Amino acid sequence: MMPDLTQHGTAETQEWKPAQNTPVIMFDRVSKTYGRINALNSISLGISGGVTGILGMNGAGKSTLFKLMMGKVKPSSGAIRLFGADPWKNPAPYSRVGFVPEHEKMYDWMTAFDFIVTFARLHGMTREEAGKEATRVLSFVSLADVMHKKIGQFSKGMRQRVKIAHALVNDPELIILDEPLQGCDPLARTTIMNVIKELGAMGRTILVSSHILQEIERITEQIVILHRGRVLALGNSHAIREMLDQHPHKIALECEEPRKLAESMIGIDEVTGFSFEQPGKLLIETQHLGEVHKLLPRIITESGTKVTGIDNPDDDLQSILMYLTGGSI
Amino acid sequence: MSTRMDTIWSKLDRKSTAIAEFTMRQYRTRISTWVIMIASVVALLLMLLFYIEAMNTEIQAIDNDGDSFDSDGDGYPDGQERLLGTNPESAEDFPIGVEPDPPEKWINEDDINWDNLKDGENYVGEDDDGDCLEYFDTSSQKDTNDNNIDCDIVITVDSLNETIYFDADSGVDEDPDEDKYGKEASHRAFVLGIGKFGIVYLLGIFLPLFLATGLIREEMSEGTIHYMLAKPIARGEVLLYRILGYIGITWPFILGICLLLCLVTGFSGPGDDFFRWSDIGVWMSIAWATMLVSLVYGVIFCSCGIIWKNGVILALIFAAWELGMVFVTIFTGGTSSIRYMSVIGWGMIIVDAGVTISWPDNWQLIQVGLWGGGQGEENWLGQIDYAALPGAEPLAAFTGSPNLGVSNWLSFVISTVVLLFQGIMAWFIGQSIFKGKEVD
Repeated sequence: MMPDLTQHGTAETQEWKPAQNTPVIMFDRVSKTYGRINALNSISLGISGGVTGILGMNGAGKSTLFKLMMGKVKPSSGAIRLFGADPWKNPAPYSRVGFVPEHEKMYDWMTAFDFIVTFARLHGMTREEAGKEATRVLSFVSLADVMHKKIGQFSKGMRQRVKIAHALVNDPELIILDEPLQGCDPLARTTIMNVIKELGAMGRTILVSSHILQEIERITEQIVILHRGRVLALGNSHAIREMLDQHPHKIALECEEPRKLAESMIGIDEVTGFSFEQPGKLLIETQHLGEVHKLLPRIITESGTKVTGIDNPDDDLQSILMYLTGGSI
Repeated sequence: MSTRMDTIWSKLDRKSTAIAEFTMRQYRTRISTWVIMIASVVALLLMLLFYIEAMNTEIQAIDNDGDSFDSDGDGYPDGQERLLGTNPESAEDFPIGVEPDPPEKWINEDDINWDNLKDGENYVGEDDDGDCLEYFDTSSQKDTNDNNIDCDIVITVDSLNETIYFDADSGVDEDPDEDKYGKEASHRAFVLGIGKFGIVYLLGIFLPLFLATGLIREEMSEGTIHYMLAKPIARGEVLLYRILGYIGITWPFILGICLLLCLVTGFSGPGDDFFRWSDIGVWMSIAWATMLVSLVYGVIFCSCGIIWKNGVILALIFAAWELGMVFVTIFTGGTSSIRYMSVIGWGMIIVDAGVTISWPDNWQLIQVGLWGGGQGEENWLGQIDYAALPGAEPLAAFTGSPNLGVSNWLSFVISTVVLLFQGIMAWFIGQSIFKGKEVD
């Protein structure tokens, strides 16, 4: 059932009455322009349940999308519904939402515990309830032992986890994370990804944005690709991969005798070309990335060449966009 | 229903105290808070130094009637010779068998020794030095004001219009004690000057300029506003509770400053009592006016910050208008109606009402000081320009009248209500601007 888009938000602090059978988030032909810049262009999207990755390069409109959801900015046209209500007019649905902003600036003078308690109280909790919840969410992100330290003393990864914890304090049904992995070291990334996966497993609706494909792939299979303010692709990451496989791909092989290796590949239909750009490196061109990857171990063994590395140099967002847009990114 | 009301209230209460408390803690971490507070205290302490010095410096006594002078050089001051019936102009004629007085004795020898004048005609005055009763011979000389009482002053008081008309027999109360009057008048002028200009205006506008303009703006430019706006709380509420936190810091500070000044000037000021109790009401009205004025400015400046990232410029333009209104209000003494178009004008009405209540004799003190013993020169209109006693003119300048046409207490209440209304209106406008503001 589609939500009734003609409904209007009611008074701000009114008690929340959940709208039945509506997607958690509904975008209906939403556009957002800043002056002459088109940040979002007629986006229609409905999201309910699961973990969804919003993938796009810087300036693709990911943050604008989130700001519209959170009522921070007003759509230039179209309608947005967050739990059935217009977020620009009504902050009531935020009681069911946890938002992790991308901004790095935090209240460095506060302890992690105080920070979370303060903002938990804005959900209408008493001091005691807020304290209990703060301890719970800080343990969930494994910061219980440092929760009485000042945020200013925290590393980037710890700060991100504090931000995530703060968004979880009201036990939200929807969690929105704007670039939660940006600037984190590999260990912090893994920790944060695990936290997000765990939340997904708990049945929450999660939206997470990133500009790095591999990161998103490690978290979820459900992907929305944004490009220049439009939804370029939407669906399962495997489907997107398959779509990618229809386009010529490059595989880089680091080996001792590139020419010898190339010779052994002549006659394989899937391989459409070779190039030797650097010494000790063979570039294979193919339309069927998956097939070639399956064949490669046998070919390498048969040729008797020692291969030290295999890489897909164009297996990143930029290349995907290249393929999807037909080369005009 | 009542449980529902309870729930709404307790939720509001949780949110409001959370943000207000947070705001107050945040102020403590900001250097601007400490700078403005320390600077205010230092500036006021400097002013206090001037005050204390003034209170401890003897005001030069003036011999208004010139009778300490020894015109004939016989060693006896003129006043003494007149009292004892010898000719002050003749060196051969001097009192015999009487030691000459030191000239100082004839400098402030005929002080003003009356107060609490009632409406209508008052017959007061005492010829302490005898230059009316003893020196003049005929009744027409002794009763120049023709009220059939020798050597007195007829004072006609009109307290409705705060005017006093003096008609003194010559030589009565003509040589007042400048130091005694000057201390009292200067003390009051200082309290009003520093109170109205230094505290109600300067403190009332600088505290919000530094502390309120960035209340929302700084959060917006630093991006931290996103934490607050991602919670189920209306923007109008955020603005309101931030202001609550601002009040939580500024109001105790204003009260502290006023208490400090009240104690210092109360103990070191002139007067017979060890403490000037009647000043307390004045300081209370100064504190109350400052609290209300800084609240209204706070909401206005905070809204300026929401409108524009350089909102402080808008705030400064507004502050300049208010400064103009300060001059209009103080120096017209409350007769200008344009002051109603300002915040500070209403704040000053609170102070003026408080002064009139706490110092009911204040306007008479001014009038007496301006009359100053009746000495003066005739101007080109044929009227006498009285030489005012020291402190009378500054006191007159800083004293105003509520002039609302109602009683002082009612003026106090009306201006309080007007200021609160201004604050509510500013909040209403501010929150609708905030609501329509896109936060990036």
